[in-house]
Amino acid sequence: MAVLQKKLNNTVRILPDYLGKATIQVEAQLNRNVVKTLMEADNDAGIAAISGLDLGGKIGLMYHIRTNGAIVTIRTEVPKENPKISSITDISPGASFHEREVADLFGVAFQGHPNLDRLVLPEDWPENLYPLRKDAEIDGVVTKCENPSAETVETQPQSDGTLVNMIVGPQHPALLEPEKFSLKVEGEIVKEVEPRIGYVHRGIEKAAERRTYLQDVYLVERICGICNSCHASAFVETVEEILGTQVPPRGKYLRTIILELNRLHSHLLLLGHAGLEIGYETLFQYMWRDREPIMDLTELLTGNRVIASSITVGGVRRDLKETHIPTIKNQLAILRKKIKFYKNLFESEPSFKVRTKNVGILSREDAIRLSVVGPVARASGVSMDVRKDAPYEAYGEIPFKLVTRSEGDTYARLMVRLDEVIESINIIDYVLDHMPQGPYRVKVPRVVPAGEAVNRVEAPRGELFYYVKSNGTAYPERVKVRTPTFANIPSFIKIAEGGNIADVPASFVSLDPCFSCTDR
Amino acid sequence: MILSLDLIFRVLIFPGFTFILFLTMFCDWVERKIEARMQNRVGPKFTGPAGILQPFADFIKLLIKENIVPRDAKKTAFRFAPILAFSVVVFAICFLPVDGLAIIPNSAFAGDLIFVMALITVANFLLFLSGWASSSPYGAIGAARVLTQFLGYDIPLFLLALTPAFLAQSLSITSIAAKQYLPFILLAPWAFVLFVITLQAELEKDPFDVPLAETELVGGLETEYCGGKLAFLHLTRDVQIVFGAALVVELFLGGPYGPVFFGLPAFWYSLWFVLKLLAVIVISEYLTCLFARLRIDQVLTANWKILLPLSLLSLILTVALATWIYPLAV
Repeated sequence: MAVLQKKLNNTVRILPDYLGKATIQVEAQLNRNVVKTLMEADNDAGIAAISGLDLGGKIGLMYHIRTNGAIVTIRTEVPKENPKISSITDISPGASFHEREVADLFGVAFQGHPNLDRLVLPEDWPENLYPLRKDAEIDGVVTKCENPSAETVETQPQSDGTLVNMIVGPQHPALLEPEKFSLKVEGEIVKEVEPRIGYVHRGIEKAAERRTYLQDVYLVERICGICNSCHASAFVETVEEILGTQVPPRGKYLRTIILELNRLHSHLLLLGHAGLEIGYETLFQYMWRDREPIMDLTELLTGNRVIASSITVGGVRRDLKETHIPTIKNQLAILRKKIKFYKNLFESEPSFKVRTKNVGILSREDAIRLSVVGPVARASGVSMDVRKDAPYEAYGEIPFKLVTRSEGDTYARLMVRLDEVIESINIIDYVLDHMPQGPYRVKVPRVVPAGEAVNRVEAPRGELFYYVKSNGTAYPERVKVRTPTFANIPSFIKIAEGGNIADVPASFVSLDPCFSCTDR
Repeated sequence: MILSLDLIFRVLIFPGFTFILFLTMFCDWVERKIEARMQNRVGPKFTGPAGILQPFADFIKLLIKENIVPRDAKKTAFRFAPILAFSVVVFAICFLPVDGLAIIPNSAFAGDLIFVMALITVANFLLFLSGWASSSPYGAIGAARVLTQFLGYDIPLFLLALTPAFLAQSLSITSIAAKQYLPFILLAPWAFVLFVITLQAELEKDPFDVPLAETELVGGLETEYCGGKLAFLHLTRDVQIVFGAALVVELFLGGPYGPVFFGLPAFWYSLWFVLKLLAVIVISEYLTCLFARLRIDQVLTANWKILLPLSLLSLILTVALATWIYPLAV
């Protein structure tokens, strides 16, 4: 930071201790240079998110840059009447999707961006209506998907010389959720990929502004059914940071168990699904069978099988009974044995290896350039894990191994998850052995003082980013969510291009895409 | 007159059409049950004792569903290809001795092994046609894969089928089966192993089920089919599996012949035939559960670079053994 300060001191204002993390205030014209300087300072730096913010007459933009494992926020402002700023996609290609999203929701024109088409909004959304601006009248807007009688425009696949346009989705058997990928295919080889998300966008960021903080906890849990506790934890921590609440240690440890159970069931689900995608139905059935006890443990601990709804502002809702500890330990010991069997299977089964090894390679350089997160980044040799970089809950006190692999192929992405399952079991075992006594939650006021906070959580799919701004009422001013899949989708373009069509489902699933996350 | 009544009985009831149909349904149930147990599931359970009637229920359910033909489909081919494919496979089974004789007793002739293999080629082509005629990209890709895959495995399958023919010094299935005092699986086990693997490809089962890869191709060539036509496509697939297993029985496991304890030999022969058939189906289902699906190019590589040279080698080995070694032993 000191070096950075020196380099930038003449041009920008550094606001120390603001947001709890380093923040830099710059003029819009200088923004590009600052981002560039920051990115050049650390070889592994990437863009975590770009948040927009309605500041009345102006639109605030926040570039959250991940450097040396920490988040540095660059703030800038553009006038609402004519919001223009130069794009940073040439510095960091990973910013492309973030800029498109802000362009969609706030109407900021990123100059120099190669393709500012609609990303999350429907094609027939009214022009010049930007839903996340405070003055946007979005009630009564009817789009085609809600009004099927409107004329529909069908896009027919067209031939372009030897390239064939093949559209995968929005409905496709390999995608359990609706997204569209336009593939340009030559023979069996994929030449170009153009993703389009937003088919199930629910405007949760907007909805969160109309609900109280407590209601929002339940709302953000429903962003994603699989990593629901991670969303709750990430949101709740920002609120606690603004409130200045200290969660009692027991509460933190209990949250850690819930989060790790979340990771276990998410990873097992993905590994089974990957088996299905490569036509290995037996693996799928086995994995999902072994995932079932994890769901039961979640129910034992929180009262719910899937959406735990246990993490709340100030702690957790339910305490752990002493009698539950042996049950949990037993189940995890059984799972640990089974995971050893799967690891042996993954390492020795030829038909499995032939389908996954050297397929869909994402090099370390590309992983950093595209700012991918989570197991995808770790499989490409980027050692990055929020649990290690910026420990939250009880992770700072728990010893665990950061799993990385260097191959960057589909096989590595699956193996990283398998090893992480073992680490998760170790973490839960450790937490159960070192569970502190005392209260598990504290009472907090409903009204949150003005302030803002950013927070990151290592969700099963990677770094989950939250930004919350409070205006001193019971309702948040702005809730920004950057889900891990949103950061990982651009890497699919890199992974699929030059590969075989038959490999598309398998390598795609190895990213563990979650579109309900992506379409908040 | 009596002869012709007997013939009609043989063709229509036993061991002809009805028997094959019931056997197919039964094998389908066995397959589903084995696969389910191997995958830690229960499998069919409620229809009939232990769910044994489930394949019938599925078939009848499909028959009463609405019959839709896509607007762009080539209607004639779309309608008739599934039924024709089914008939061709059943016709091929008629040449296999089930109760000691071929189903149409006088139809067996000197080269019927080649004829039966050719019929299977025709059946595959008809399946290709049914997918192609549906004018859907998924159907077309699935159909193209059937043909591509079939180009890969057809030659090894044929070469391997020649192994028992050499050992029996005959190209007639009935006499190959009849000459196995010692089942050929013992004389040429390598050919048996290769034949079963190649058959997995012929039957489009894992690891070679690329034409039906549901995560890539929806339903492959079946995508646009529904109702009765889909029922017949499924039945064709099941009959093909029975046919493949029956071929293994005839060529390597001594056909229907086995010890006759009392009464009619036909009864005992049929029983041995069914038992051997089930054994083959268990092996095939075991392989299905064990492997992931290969990619189409990997399937072709496996067929041309591994299976073809191996089957040639197997043929050479068999010819050498049959000429110089085995006559000494016998």
